[in-house]
Amino acid sequence: MPFPAVIAQLRKIAGRDAVLDRPEDLMLYEYDGGVRKCTPVAVVFPQNTEHVAQILKLASSSGFPVVARGAGTGLSGGSIAPEGGVVVAFARMHRILEVDAENMLAVVQPGVVNQQLSDNVAHLGLYFAPDPSSQKACTIGGNVAENSGGPHTLMYGVTVNHVTGLTVVLPSGEVVRFGGKAAESNGYDLTGFFVGSEGTVGVVTEITVRLLRRPERVATLLGIFDTIDDGAKTVSAITAAGITPAALEMLDGWTLRAVEAACHAGYPLDAGAVLLIELEGLAEQVEEQAEAVREVCLQQRAREVRRAKDENERALLWKGRKNAFASLGRLAPSYYSQDGVVPRTKIPAVLQFIGGVSKKYGLRIGNVFHAGDGNLHPLILFDPRDPAQLDLVQAAGAEILECCVAMGGSITGEHGVGLEKRNLMPLLFTNDDLDVMLSLRNAFNAAGVLNPGKLFPTTRMCRETAGPSTNPVLQAEGM
Amino acid sequence: MSATGITLDVVRELGAICGQENARERPIGGVYVSPSCAEEVAAVLALANERHLSVGPAGGSTERSAAEAHVDILLHTNRLTQVEHYDHADLTVGVGAGTTIAQLNAMVGADRLLFAADPPFPERCTVGGLLATAMHGPLRHGYGAVRDFCIGVRFVTGDGRRAKGGGRVVKNVAGYDLMKLLIGSYGTLAVITSASFKLFPAPRQTRTFLAEFHTAKEALAFRDRVVRSPLSPMCLELVSPGARRLMRPQMTDDAWVMCLRAGGSDAVLARYRKDLGAAVTRELEGDSEHRMWRAIEDFPQSTDGVGYGNGDDNESQLIDLTVWPRDVAAVVDALLDTTAIGEPDVALVGRAGIGHLRVLARGRNAAARDMSTAIIAAVRGKLGDNFAVKAAGAANPWPIAPSSLAEMRAVKQALDPKNILGGRDIF
Repeated sequence: MPFPAVIAQLRKIAGRDAVLDRPEDLMLYEYDGGVRKCTPVAVVFPQNTEHVAQILKLASSSGFPVVARGAGTGLSGGSIAPEGGVVVAFARMHRILEVDAENMLAVVQPGVVNQQLSDNVAHLGLYFAPDPSSQKACTIGGNVAENSGGPHTLMYGVTVNHVTGLTVVLPSGEVVRFGGKAAESNGYDLTGFFVGSEGTVGVVTEITVRLLRRPERVATLLGIFDTIDDGAKTVSAITAAGITPAALEMLDGWTLRAVEAACHAGYPLDAGAVLLIELEGLAEQVEEQAEAVREVCLQQRAREVRRAKDENERALLWKGRKNAFASLGRLAPSYYSQDGVVPRTKIPAVLQFIGGVSKKYGLRIGNVFHAGDGNLHPLILFDPRDPAQLDLVQAAGAEILECCVAMGGSITGEHGVGLEKRNLMPLLFTNDDLDVMLSLRNAFNAAGVLNPGKLFPTTRMCRETAGPSTNPVLQAEGM
Repeated sequence: MSATGITLDVVRELGAICGQENARERPIGGVYVSPSCAEEVAAVLALANERHLSVGPAGGSTERSAAEAHVDILLHTNRLTQVEHYDHADLTVGVGAGTTIAQLNAMVGADRLLFAADPPFPERCTVGGLLATAMHGPLRHGYGAVRDFCIGVRFVTGDGRRAKGGGRVVKNVAGYDLMKLLIGSYGTLAVITSASFKLFPAPRQTRTFLAEFHTAKEALAFRDRVVRSPLSPMCLELVSPGARRLMRPQMTDDAWVMCLRAGGSDAVLARYRKDLGAAVTRELEGDSEHRMWRAIEDFPQSTDGVGYGNGDDNESQLIDLTVWPRDVAAVVDALLDTTAIGEPDVALVGRAGIGHLRVLARGRNAAARDMSTAIIAAVRGKLGDNFAVKAAGAANPWPIAPSSLAEMRAVKQALDPKNILGGRDIF
């Protein structure tokens, strides 16, 4: 089908005002929160599951690829359109369909903004636990695709731990239901498999999520350290003391100075690092833990441990943390964010390694991350107008991720593989591992209509590489 | 496919893979094999694919007797017991699939850590079996299901590919979440060879508070009060009068009991005491507390002479129901409709706060199965399709066909195209 005819068909499905194809409109959909770009050939805004089903059916019969998009806040290029691809944007499927307070569940459309769900159920004393830093903008559909995390996933788990059911449209246009409202369903856990599949298996149109009850007491502490090494060692000392904080975040010295200039969060300007530690639960328990955490921090040579006196002070400390990435805009035109994970006892060692990479490449690298679960976010500052810098930045990033893997960790803790890290997958996975994953993708999306070119490597980088794969799809993917 | 018409050649070949002493013919036909590593598991499955032989993975046989499994090759995981990693300061551990839960508990308990799954018969139940059946115990209320803290898995697919999902770190979204796919798949997609888990700090002390009620309705009102309060107990279990009598035959009253277990300092436990108030009739600690929870974990086999399964000689059938928390009351009603719950025919224990219930249907020979069918029908009558059900030990663990059966078949086809790994009753 020639492309003007496809556009006409899309308009027929979703409505005349629900398709964009002018270059000036499409420019807004060529990027996400990462560093890659590709302009889609059209953007379509479905308003219901039936629209999505018809769009995917058209895509499969006409042979154009599609990618689903929430708010475009992703950091791995997961929602960047493939060449010649159509973006299916969920901005108009943003309704909370049901709140079931008794069972502590909600059913939402994928375009619902993460924070809006928590705001909407706050009067019931409930909230949605996954809290990515982009939660004011990012959508729950995007959270499902990427299996997003956030600071409080240390205690409460990532998105998959809070999703019980999905309505999914397959490439054929068939609408299927995985799971339900109960915590388990009959047969294989396809809900759990789908969450985090990065749009390569199906397109979700309804999500059933668990809600949690707000804790009785919250204590937010700021541990201030003269050196980054002291802060890093404190992380595993807290866990070793038998305490699981709700969140345990770290900001290094120069990141917190940038944050302080932008947000006035009350961070000390001369510190080497700070730990932002949040404890939640029963009042008696939180008070005991707050005292224990203070002692551990002081034993680990904290200069000072402050506690937020009220909700305003607490909100300010978190504002600083959640706006940390954006605050770095004061220092450089752009940044490249990494998402490596290491076992938490390896945090001091990996931070030293990152310091070495910074010197080797002559690049400034800030660290602001989920220390409690070893999920690093080194932010490499650069100027994207200089293509040579981008190459250097990506090389430095790859070196850091290789180090994370060598320490027993992973290349991504919560941002996803997407375009950005697909060729690093062989660091973690063998040909057989990837072959098994591909055979599962092909069980749902054999023709590669959904989000092609994501998650799976386009190059053969395996250490034990030996000749081309016998799998026809691996061959088609150039592996 | 061979129906255990296995030849001596196959026994010899399996012996060549795993050692002659680890491959032998079974009295009921077929061959028993016990590989020592993932490579040997892969070689066994490759041979099975080549010869079109069925393979049944077996762990501690706590849910289904391996002795009765009619497969060409019974693949026992008892030699897959290596510790792949144990990093107590990182709160993670990785062990072979044949490791028992008791062995794992002993290892991490020494460092005051908690492996947060408490399935029945930890001395026999293996890590592989725990994952394959998605089994759980009372700790699920406070710590979530094994799907929530399994962070990595290594396995061999039905078609013999040795692969993995996840890794060793507590947060990881690289690649598909294959842990979720294999957990609860009853060994129909792959043979799990090892797995990694997130651990938790063990509470320094615990207490168990018992509250007894005349009716299920009163017990569930107590549950609602706890769930809506700031308290966050480790366990919150409902025990029916029939189940209580099975576990403690000396008990003759008809009480419904809510059992709440809490951990923490003296001040925290005092807070529980204060908030739970007069509803609490007994408080347990130490050995008596431990014994009570073991009886609930092992129910119904915690009781003398009660077994379950689908063999003709068995007298009972255990059904695992997962419902919305609100619907626990409807399940109790359905049970009362099906039989007199005060009688020893039907007994129930369960995680009432999160909607997981274990129901024991008892009867002579086929009567238990008729009873379990009647119970499932009664629950369906009340709840429609809004529940999940598993029949412990049955050839088909899912008595109600999954709603997305076509997609599940596609997954099965992708990993086990020759249907080597059982599941013929389902797929």
